[in-house]
Amino acid sequence: MVTLTTSDNESFVVDKDVAERSVLIKNMLEDVGENDHPIPLPNVSASVLKKVLEYCEHHRGEPIPTADADSSDDTRKRTTDIGEWDQRFISVDQEMLFEIILAANYLDIKSLLDVGCKTVANMIKGKTPEEIRKLFNIVNDFTPEEEAQIKKENEWAEG
Amino acid sequence: MERWTTLEPVKLHGSQVPSTKKPWKPTPPDRYQYIGPLPADTHLLILDFLPVTSFSSYARVSRAFARLAQDERLWKKKCDVLGLQKPSISSLLVNLEAQVTGNDSRSHAPPVLEVQDEKDDFGDFSSASFSPNMMSQWNGRETEGSVRSSGFADAYFDISRPISRTVYIHAHALLLILLRRFKAAPHLVLAELFPPPSPSLLEQSKTLSLLSRFLSPTIQPVSSWKDLRSILASVVDRFQAGVLAAFESADSRADEGLMSEAAWASWECWNPSQSGSEWELGRVWAEKLEIFYQHGQWDPLQNFTEEGKLAFEGMDGFMSHVIGALQRYGALAIRVFPPDSGVLLAFSDKLASEVVSEYIAPLLTKARGLPLQALFLQAVAASFAQSWRLVDAILELAKSPLASTPGVNGFILTRYQVEDIVFRMFEPHMDEYLDEEIDQVKRAFEIICETWDQKSSSTVAQMDTSPDAQTARFLIFGNPAQVKRTVLASFTDLMLLPVTIVPRTVGAVGAIVHTGGTAAVNGISMLNPARWGAVGTGSGSGYGAPPAKFEEDHDVKRSVLFHSADEDEEEFSLNEKAMPETKGALSFPGRELSLDPTDVNAEQNGRKLETLESLQLMLSLDVALEIIHADREALKRVETFKSYPGTYGHRVRETIEEIFILMLQALSERHVAPGFGRATQQMKLYNPNDAGDSDRVAPLLHFFELVHIGDMIQSMVQVYFDKELASYIDRTDFLNPVVREKKRFENVLDECVAAGLNAGTEVLMSQVEHIIQVKTGPREYYPQEGTIMDLQPTVGCGEAIACLETHCSLLKGSTNKEVLEVFHQEIGIRLHAIVQKHLKRQIISLEGGFQVIADLNAYHAFVTTLRVPLIVGDFANLKMLGHVYIVEDAKDLAQIVRDVTRYGGSFRPEDIYEFIQRRSDWKKIEKTVDKAMYNLSFREDCVVM
Repeated sequence: MVTLTTSDNESFVVDKDVAERSVLIKNMLEDVGENDHPIPLPNVSASVLKKVLEYCEHHRGEPIPTADADSSDDTRKRTTDIGEWDQRFISVDQEMLFEIILAANYLDIKSLLDVGCKTVANMIKGKTPEEIRKLFNIVNDFTPEEEAQIKKENEWAEG
Repeated sequence: MERWTTLEPVKLHGSQVPSTKKPWKPTPPDRYQYIGPLPADTHLLILDFLPVTSFSSYARVSRAFARLAQDERLWKKKCDVLGLQKPSISSLLVNLEAQVTGNDSRSHAPPVLEVQDEKDDFGDFSSASFSPNMMSQWNGRETEGSVRSSGFADAYFDISRPISRTVYIHAHALLLILLRRFKAAPHLVLAELFPPPSPSLLEQSKTLSLLSRFLSPTIQPVSSWKDLRSILASVVDRFQAGVLAAFESADSRADEGLMSEAAWASWECWNPSQSGSEWELGRVWAEKLEIFYQHGQWDPLQNFTEEGKLAFEGMDGFMSHVIGALQRYGALAIRVFPPDSGVLLAFSDKLASEVVSEYIAPLLTKARGLPLQALFLQAVAASFAQSWRLVDAILELAKSPLASTPGVNGFILTRYQVEDIVFRMFEPHMDEYLDEEIDQVKRAFEIICETWDQKSSSTVAQMDTSPDAQTARFLIFGNPAQVKRTVLASFTDLMLLPVTIVPRTVGAVGAIVHTGGTAAVNGISMLNPARWGAVGTGSGSGYGAPPAKFEEDHDVKRSVLFHSADEDEEEFSLNEKAMPETKGALSFPGRELSLDPTDVNAEQNGRKLETLESLQLMLSLDVALEIIHADREALKRVETFKSYPGTYGHRVRETIEEIFILMLQALSERHVAPGFGRATQQMKLYNPNDAGDSDRVAPLLHFFELVHIGDMIQSMVQVYFDKELASYIDRTDFLNPVVREKKRFENVLDECVAAGLNAGTEVLMSQVEHIIQVKTGPREYYPQEGTIMDLQPTVGCGEAIACLETHCSLLKGSTNKEVLEVFHQEIGIRLHAIVQKHLKRQIISLEGGFQVIADLNAYHAFVTTLRVPLIVGDFANLKMLGHVYIVEDAKDLAQIVRDVTRYGGSFRPEDIYEFIQRRSDWKKIEKTVDKAMYNLSFREDCVVM
């Protein structure tokens, strides 16, 4: 069993194999060895960690992809599809979605990060620039001429 | 790029870059920089999943997003997916370009122009892998647009190496044009894609392959990519069918050029994830080969001779045929098929699993049904060795220069893959084989021991009735160590000989294993000195009945061997050249083995060793040799499989260990321990009084022989272990079961020897006592006055010492040092007691006292040769004791008796007092001595008081 402490000082006790889906935690455990000290996760809040642990629990025992997983051979097989359970899992509000992605990135959980990124990519798909700005809460810093120029440069891709 | 760098600092936009960041976010450098809610890195991950069609909108979101959308890493990945970095693909694109501009220039010019515009932004486009003629086409347009847009690009985008995006966009535009042709009716798409004059099949194939990668989820070039993808799949199927037809027609005309072209074309656009795991064209080719339809031609049962033995000429022929086919078709496969396709491997695999395996299965089933289990084992090992020829043949093929075509790296097959074919083919038989092998070894040991037990019980009976046979043997049995050395040497030779045969004639291993194997049985049993002895006594020439019989067997085998030798002419001729001397050994292992021991040893040992026959009643070298040989045969068979990988490899090694352990157990439990037990038993029954006045103890001699034989057996086991097993196990690993079992075996032997020696000491010492008693005359130490004394040890003493000496020297070098030391010590202690006891029985006169001293000196001298310090000391003290018999004056005697230090603490005054009672003049001096001893002490006591 491993104890994890969140940024808002909440503690979670989970099975080791669940916690070790996070490469970060796995490495930490390897470094400090076996002891009962809680592992602090200052970048993750309780609500997000709960969600992340739910994911880890569901996927426990699955093989963890290796670090060099983005070789071209791998991308060839990769799909944009998301598994059924993952899809339900990731159906959260936008803020939580980004939080999960950040946590997955920080905790180094590749599969969860992929699920998050795929979901965001699906959200971007078919949206206008303005809609995307709203999605990411981004301010348009282009002059109209610049925007026109960019549009022109990317016309090739509009299929 | 260089020419723009100077402009960079003056660009207004450059200073504006930081303003794109949200003020509330921290601003770590580059990849951790947050854009919106997420770091740049994560945005890039998202972009990986974003369809290309969405990039236009994405880039217009903000400057930061626009920069992300142009990230080199992103586009590099997409280029990699399309394989654009490969020279073959870029030349393909150039051809497509030419075709597209030639055909569709009017209708599709605009997109291409757009692409050009984009390219202009990146001044160093010439470094990309596109044809220069395209560049020159655009050169004119570059000037006015480039300054403006490239400056803009420099300021906003991370374009340290912007090649990928440019390359990608160009390819994208081209492929989009091709995609438009998918709108045609399904059966026309191919014609649309490749309008006449249609490009080569290979080029078409490459184009299709490129398109299928283009329409992948990683790129998603158009919103309808999924539909287009399924259209493409059907187009590819159509194309494949066409190529297959072309290939087959080329095959029937044996036109390798066309075959090869079709094969490459088909391979290029074959997609394993879509159309099953096996490449259809390769499969179709292999399926049609006639080698797979010739089952009837080869009868596996030919390998059984009429007498129910094995002779693998049948399989030799079969394998030569299979390998011939393999070489023919394999070479063709290498010429025709792309190396990556693995057709050669698949073909070899099919050959092994369908042809060879089909052949072996009934063979083994038949062998299994035979009454003699050993045949099954031989058949398995032999057929495996035969099948192994495939591996060599395939590897030979793979080494040919054609196998590594230019542009393809390395060999098409690894040794591992090839071996795996044969291993997999054989796997179904392995379980049964390994189990059976162990059973067989167990049974063989059982039989050997059983026969031995019967034989020995009958000979023991004989032995008891004819004790005369033993009288003369020690004169002959001069140097046991020498005999041992010669026997061991020839044993070692025997170990070596077949080992060199087996690997060298891999192909004929079947024949040699089973003929040579049985020959070796004879050969190995000829090694046993007892046999030569039997022969030697039978006829003066040294070649009695057994060799004649052996010759007979041998002739049969030789004829068999000749057959296999014919099949393996090459190998044999090679061997002939390499080692002309061993040729005889190779082709006639039986004869070589049988000659070896007789030539080398018979002369010098034959006569000496004939006696061994009667000596080794309890323990037989013969049996040990048979056991070791049976074991070795099994081991050699299992060894054939030693390179097996994985779980079976593990099991093979386990079996090897198991076989050796079984042998040790059989040797120790069934043979050595009972043998020694019986010998010990026999010794305990020995009664020196019954044995006459011989200075030798018959059962003890037996026993010492046994110790020697036991030592021989142990040496042989050691040699066997060193030669055969050492390579499989870690000798230093004391936890290894084999090492442990071997240790146990040695311990059992030592224990037996020790227990036997224990009983032996008993027997020996009672014999010694008997001798001393019988041989010592009544007045030996009380001679008539005036008798001339020569002061030599008495007869009894001399014979006792002689008896001890012979027996002690017999043991030299036969068992380990510790055991010997204990034995010697025991002898010394007991001798000490016997001598004392003996003295106390005598009456000793003053003259006789010198005789006593002479005897004691002789005992001491003998004990010194045993080199056990403890008892040497005891005997030195005993020697001192002799003095009490030559002191005339009673008072002096009392002094001596009381002086305990004289005897180094071995004797108390009371003990000495007992000894002096044996003096002939005791009655006269008794009072004086008593007085001197006890009065003196009283007086002293008074003084003290």
